[in-house]
Amino acid sequence: MATSIAPNSTSNQEESIINVRSLYVEALYKLVKSPIAILTLGILLLLLLGAIFAPFLTPYHPNEGNVSQRLLPIFSPGYVLGTDEQGRDMLTRILYGGRLSILVGLAPVIFSTLFGLMIGSIAGYSRGIVGNILMRAMDMSYAFPVVILAIGITSALGPGVNNIIIAITLVFIPRIARIAEASTKEIVIKEFMEAAKISGASDPQMIFTQLLPNIIGSVFIYSSGLFGVSIVLGSGLSFLGLGASPPTAEWGYMLSSLRGSLYIQPLVVILPGLLIFITSIAFNFLSDEIHDALEMDSH
Amino acid sequence: MPYFIAKRILQTIPALLGVSVIIFFMLNVLPGDPLASLLGEDATPEARELLAQSLGLDAPLPVQYWRWLTSAIQGDLGNSFARNRPVVGILIPAFRATLFLASWSALIGVVTGVFLGTIGALNQGKVVDRIVGVISMIGLSIPSYWLGMLLIIVFASQLRLLPASGMARSGSSLFETLRYVILPSLANSAVTIGLIARTTRASLIASYAESYIVTLNAKGMRGYQVLLHAWKNIAPSVLAVAGLQVGFLLGGSVLVEPIFSWPGMGSVIYDSIVSRDLRVIQAAVLFVAVTFVVINLFVDILQIFLNPRLRKG
Repeated sequence: MATSIAPNSTSNQEESIINVRSLYVEALYKLVKSPIAILTLGILLLLLLGAIFAPFLTPYHPNEGNVSQRLLPIFSPGYVLGTDEQGRDMLTRILYGGRLSILVGLAPVIFSTLFGLMIGSIAGYSRGIVGNILMRAMDMSYAFPVVILAIGITSALGPGVNNIIIAITLVFIPRIARIAEASTKEIVIKEFMEAAKISGASDPQMIFTQLLPNIIGSVFIYSSGLFGVSIVLGSGLSFLGLGASPPTAEWGYMLSSLRGSLYIQPLVVILPGLLIFITSIAFNFLSDEIHDALEMDSH
Repeated sequence: MPYFIAKRILQTIPALLGVSVIIFFMLNVLPGDPLASLLGEDATPEARELLAQSLGLDAPLPVQYWRWLTSAIQGDLGNSFARNRPVVGILIPAFRATLFLASWSALIGVVTGVFLGTIGALNQGKVVDRIVGVISMIGLSIPSYWLGMLLIIVFASQLRLLPASGMARSGSSLFETLRYVILPSLANSAVTIGLIARTTRASLIASYAESYIVTLNAKGMRGYQVLLHAWKNIAPSVLAVAGLQVGFLLGGSVLVEPIFSWPGMGSVIYDSIVSRDLRVIQAAVLFVAVTFVVINLFVDILQIFLNPRLRKG
């Protein structure tokens, strides 16, 4: 499904360079027509709205429970999704928990895309020593498996959702910078770059008006695939105890604090994980659709 | 070829130095407070100063780095604050358990992934192919720590088929060892299954479009014989992905182990997070990163043997 290497991809690319805006508009049309894209977007939007408007959707407070109502099963009267080990309403905590968990899925990807684009395009554009030093510095992170690097950084910074976001951002930056650098190198040798230079464009002008619009597509395809990784990884760090501190509602932390009740109320215990899974698979399906709509190779 | 291998081995030196710099940076430069993590938050200033001196924290950073690197190379990563034992002594048995788990995860991941990817490619566009696509996507998206809990509920709690936690004692029969390792490695290998299935499917489809396959078919070869040829052809690209995955599985075990009380690095890291034992966590990160670099080296060398085109390099 992700392999759409058209035989005329080179001519496609030439076209895309001449007519960038219409390519993105066309991709948007394709996206709107895809049922999978609409479905996944709908699910993500629903989760986001549920998190934002949680106070209006539930009468309970996310951190206050009723000890006499501990670990009620799903569909208990008054508690549709049951209660947790401290008698707090699960639906409430899941809705509120979405705030931090969705943030952990989105924020690192957005930040790392900005920084990665900046570093990668500067490295690819300036080439020479600056570019080399930048990219070799980025390469160092490739000696670590992603999970372990994120754990190392978060544990050094200290536990907390903010630090999880910083850690995952740092882990993603080199990967995005590499994509940005590679696409920049492809673009800088094109004739229109030469033409812009001859017509007197300054370096910042070149980067912002000529280069970025042309590399942003392939970078975006890559980073859209990171949303799913980000939420699974971020919730995982929380699960290990590196994230939200009690009693904050956050899916990864909820999963770990409920773990002890796995044999008592399994269906309630697995709920926060189900939400992480739904969010991540929706992001991943959407990313595939974006990839197909833009019809580029995501390296 | 010897020249290529020697060059590749030499390339690991800057990679390992990079690893050491990053980990030293995490320990000493990031805004965390190493003294507080050793003494606790409410230590007296005198105690802090004394410890800073005894740990050499008053020396300039490059000097500190050099001391840390030379003792790390000699196998001394300091003492665990919470356990009051040498870090290396804690990590080595745990590392063995993790390596064991990661190897099984890799085996399950690669075999299942190649199997699924092949089925998908041979039935391109049909319902079976769609199902393989959805399974791959689930594998790529499912949080391993959550899948682990699901597996425990189904196979340990409900069906009572497999143990929910721990590792078989050394010297146990193969059957007993398998009973313990199967659930954690299955949970750990989900991403690998998805990734290998996708890679296998895509490269097999590309491979079947090539002219040598047409020739083999024209010669009247049977389907499975043709498949063997195609497999041989896609082996390097699948291996490249699989090799990276072995390293990632090593990291991924960290998220799975605490669920199954698997006595590996993940459980050590988990306990150390609870007890704020930063030095143990960083040493564990170092262990995994060094292994990752070495595994990548082996994969690259293996690639040379599998792919004759690389030998000229």
